[in-house]
Amino acid sequence: MAEQARPTRDDLLVMAYVDDELADEQRKSLEDRLEHEPELARQVASYRKLAVLAEQVAPPEPLDREWERLRAEPSHRAGVGLGWTLLLSGLAVGVIGLAIWVLASDLQFWAKFTCLVPSAGFLILLWLRWRDRQRLLPFDPYTEVKR
Amino acid sequence: MIVVTTPEIPGKEIQEVIGLVRGTSVRARHIGQDFSALLTNIVGGEMEEYTKLLAEAREQALDRMRDEARARGANAVVNVRFSGTEISVGAAEVLVYGTAVRLGE
Repeated sequence: MAEQARPTRDDLLVMAYVDDELADEQRKSLEDRLEHEPELARQVASYRKLAVLAEQVAPPEPLDREWERLRAEPSHRAGVGLGWTLLLSGLAVGVIGLAIWVLASDLQFWAKFTCLVPSAGFLILLWLRWRDRQRLLPFDPYTEVKR
Repeated sequence: MIVVTTPEIPGKEIQEVIGLVRGTSVRARHIGQDFSALLTNIVGGEMEEYTKLLAEAREQALDRMRDEARARGANAVVNVRFSGTEISVGAAEVLVYGTAVRLGE
């Protein structure tokens, strides 16, 4: 299998420069060299053309902008708010109603106990876990990762 | 810290192989996000909630691998590979591993 030619240090520098990945000092140093080294300047121009071509072949994904636009629509925001409010308030009323119904029912004590006590335990543990999560959230650096 | 999937880094010489380094992360979304994903499942399209979940787990696992490599005195990790499995529904597990090395200047 033929081995590909390894990029030189200048190749890597130029690629990083075109991709705007160099530190200020490295960038300034390369720009100084570009003024005196026409071959290096030609290489930069060539990579820039390639970058433009690559963008044309694979344009940036417009999905994020479209999602932001849709989410910013007042009707969308109002709909999401209304939907979640109805869903959560309905569930809360349902759980409270169920608990009252069990308490007021003719079920034997052990049946009421089996229904309500574990549920209360579950809710307490869930609340504690939620509270811990809220406390740790500011220290979680990965919540901003998008994709 | 250079992290690459190739066994070598062009223009750099590996002076010392330090050994295997890895990072693992298992992350979950809250039930509200699962519900949103369920709605997407009905109408189709990208499940952004799960894309984000997987991306979070990937970055955390990568950071843990880098931390281990740094702690062992490496300045690069080569031959990096990703692996994933499913431990629980709605959670993402990412394992990333590679070979920590010390490169010459």
